[in-house]
Amino acid sequence: MSPRARPDAPHPHLTSAYCKGCGRCVDACPKHCIEPGTAIDPLSGLVPVTLDLEACTACGLCYEACPEPFGLHPDDEQHAWELSDPKEHFGPRRESSAPVAVDRPSRLIPLPSDLAPLIIKGTYASAIGALLAGCRHFFGYPITPSTEGAELMAKVLPGLEGVFVQACSEVATINHMYGCGGAGLRTMTFTSSPGLSLMLEGVSYMIGAEVPGVIVNIMRGGPGLGNIGPAQSDIRLVCRGLGHGNTHAIVLAPANPQEMLDLTMLAFDLAFAYRNPVVVLGDGYLGQVTGKVALPDHLVEPGLPAWAVYGDREHRRNLISSIELGEADLEARNLELQAKYDRMTANEQRSDSFRCEDAEVLLLAANTPARMAKAAVQRLRAQGVKAGLFRPVTLWPFPMDALAALLPQARRLMVVEASLGQLEDELRLALSHAGVAHPPIEHVQHTGGVLPQPDEIVQAVLRQEGAR
Amino acid sequence: MTVFYENFERHAHGEGLKAHSTHYCPGCGHGLAHRYLGEAIEALGIQDRTVAISPVGCAVFMYYYFDVGNSQAAHGRAPAVALGHKLANPESIVISYQGDGDLASIGLAEIMHAAQMGLPLSVIFINNATYAMTGGQMAPTTLIGQKTATTPEGRTTFAGQPLKVAELMAQLDGPIYVERVALYDNKQRVKARKAIEKALRLQVEHKGFSFVEVLSECPVQLKLDPVEAQAWVKANMAPVFTLGVKKDTSADATPREWHRPSFDPELLMGQIGASPDHPERHAAGFPVHLDADDVSLKLAGAGGDGAQTVAALLTEAGIREGFDATHIPSYGPESRGGTSYADVHIAREEVLSPASPDPHVLLAFNALSLRKFGPSVRPGGVILYDSTVAEAPPAVAEGVRVLGVPFARLAHDLGAAVVKNVVALGALQAATGLFPPATLRTALARHLAKKPELLPLNEQAFAAGVEAVARLMAR
Repeated sequence: MSPRARPDAPHPHLTSAYCKGCGRCVDACPKHCIEPGTAIDPLSGLVPVTLDLEACTACGLCYEACPEPFGLHPDDEQHAWELSDPKEHFGPRRESSAPVAVDRPSRLIPLPSDLAPLIIKGTYASAIGALLAGCRHFFGYPITPSTEGAELMAKVLPGLEGVFVQACSEVATINHMYGCGGAGLRTMTFTSSPGLSLMLEGVSYMIGAEVPGVIVNIMRGGPGLGNIGPAQSDIRLVCRGLGHGNTHAIVLAPANPQEMLDLTMLAFDLAFAYRNPVVVLGDGYLGQVTGKVALPDHLVEPGLPAWAVYGDREHRRNLISSIELGEADLEARNLELQAKYDRMTANEQRSDSFRCEDAEVLLLAANTPARMAKAAVQRLRAQGVKAGLFRPVTLWPFPMDALAALLPQARRLMVVEASLGQLEDELRLALSHAGVAHPPIEHVQHTGGVLPQPDEIVQAVLRQEGAR
Repeated sequence: MTVFYENFERHAHGEGLKAHSTHYCPGCGHGLAHRYLGEAIEALGIQDRTVAISPVGCAVFMYYYFDVGNSQAAHGRAPAVALGHKLANPESIVISYQGDGDLASIGLAEIMHAAQMGLPLSVIFINNATYAMTGGQMAPTTLIGQKTATTPEGRTTFAGQPLKVAELMAQLDGPIYVERVALYDNKQRVKARKAIEKALRLQVEHKGFSFVEVLSECPVQLKLDPVEAQAWVKANMAPVFTLGVKKDTSADATPREWHRPSFDPELLMGQIGASPDHPERHAAGFPVHLDADDVSLKLAGAGGDGAQTVAALLTEAGIREGFDATHIPSYGPESRGGTSYADVHIAREEVLSPASPDPHVLLAFNALSLRKFGPSVRPGGVILYDSTVAEAPPAVAEGVRVLGVPFARLAHDLGAAVVKNVVALGALQAATGLFPPATLRTALARHLAKKPELLPLNEQAFAAGVEAVARLMAR
């Protein structure tokens, strides 16, 4: 709609303080009504244009050339003097006319109680956990050994009128999630170590902008291309290095296909409870291993959080952003995030223990190595060694409270892991922060796709016990 | 204008003049593009359902101004974020707004793939031939000869040539509307306003992907006054980045239909294969003659031998019989024809380590697998191998029973080489008594539920394996 098409087009009006004096309107006016200014505006410190509307034909070209929203504008009735309600005129400044949104709660829909267990691999169990948690939007980029999860989503989601997108990269993947999660929906991806490295910028943005999402990372051997064998090579990355800035996310470490389902479901609840991404951290073995998976008694139909940028009237005033230009503002923002991390640390520590009640030798392991460690505990018990397994289910926050209770009776701590000390470092850091006394820490470590086996764990313990 | 906030509270907390002034420098083209966007949003009546994606670059603070849903994206990723929003709510009108460094350099992959998906999105691309926010460095659209902070002697072809993005977009199948416009005079501004409105209208009509490239002035980095900058764009940019419609197939575009995601439990159960039926059990108890608590098996061959299928059937059988079971595959790097090994455990209570480094039972489909794993079978265990292709293993542990069964030949005799793994399954059942035959037949029938016509052949293959072992044992 051209202003010249309007016979009643009004003359221009200018509030000088909002004019930056760029002169586009000077150039645009065919009647030379507008001149570059000469006087500095006392409010803006800039030199606004001057208007002499003697020859103005109200063509409107000047205000169509003005780049400022409150710069040159039609002098129509909106700006004419009229009596207005003082309450409205002097009331609080209004940022947006949009309403303030409220949370729409999720709904739990019961499932039949007599469902046969599924016999599926870990990645499938995780994908089905996501579906049961109400995730209908999947974004991902194929990478071994995580891809079967994505393939199942590609097969199943169309039948549920959901969305599967194979993104052009992991970088695009995490940004699709940023958009979809920012709209308030439950979204996820499957990836493996090098893919997670690529996503980290976006993960930092999600944390900074408080966008929930679930990232299932099936760890493989690194660094670099490494191999596709099972490993716990990204524990440091997900616990200490989720992109730039002051970042943390809850890290859930399943040990079998059942937990792949259960913890993926839990991950969605945690992601939305804290408005933060959640990492489900598996190893290549766990992704591939087929096992028995019982289904829960309900599925989730997600609601919509009040903060979502959903693209409707109710959520119009919302903003998803991680920018804070002012140093004090950004410090305050980081302190808020830190307070949130502290709440996670206080409330979300999870762990499992096996025969720890009287354990003098405490094995500590997560993911698939915890299965081997459990077998080792059984064999050690059979040989009269009072061994137990402490299994962190959250690697961050580290379940220090539960572990601390077991330490007084323990003579020995042995960390069993498929990395060169990444889990042990988390343990040592947690012990240091907690300031609790602890017994000597030994370890059984493998890397590169080799997993610790029960016999070598038993032998390592017996060696230490023999040296006592 | 109501599409802009009454007060820019997000701009330095809306203090002083900042409540009503943009952060843009005098004469910057962004303000005009914002203005035309605002007019289009108002004209189309879509303010409530608009989501604007702010990029990285000078327009990073676009969300200061538009009273719409706002999302701020990482550098180059606005189209990816926009897609996330659009797919979350197809009724929303999503605007991805980017500058030249953001879209044409670091974000080239995202814009190309978003364009090719062709979903209804409106992309506004501001091309001012420079990285303005970071201080006037070379952009992918900087002209040859143009001096910037990183091309102090002027851009040469060594730094690459100016990327003509509108033409690039027009070559793609995805977009339905691509136009390049400018802001340097009244005529171009009218066209720019119309193009931006059209890009939004096509999305309102659910038609497809629209792309508007706007040649824009950055007087500060050009070191020109704003009116001179207009003349510079006209004289220098417009000849290289020619104006006009580059592609418009919007008249032929049919509106896209969208569906709401389903949370119907019946539908989900069907999709994931969950059912309430519990198949009947056939085993009297755990196969304690093999191990008191945990039987481990290794199935080894080449890709295509069917080791993984046998493993899956055994795992399923174990779980249906009420035990715990696991199956872990391991493949060579080749997708077919390489090694294909499977470790299976059947445990009375819980499988601990799912690996089978010293299995009770080895099923070997070739000589290599037999040699590799034969010696690892634990004392008293069982080795079954395909005697069509392999000789007996050199040395095995004490008390290991070694049975050569011609899986491949028996399958060949049945007229279907592919069922050699089912022959092997039958042989394994007969040789180990791991489960009653009915257990494995049930698993086989479930496995072939969608191809029932293949069941008789598979039943024959299973029986052939059972009989072959019976003959060996009778000797």
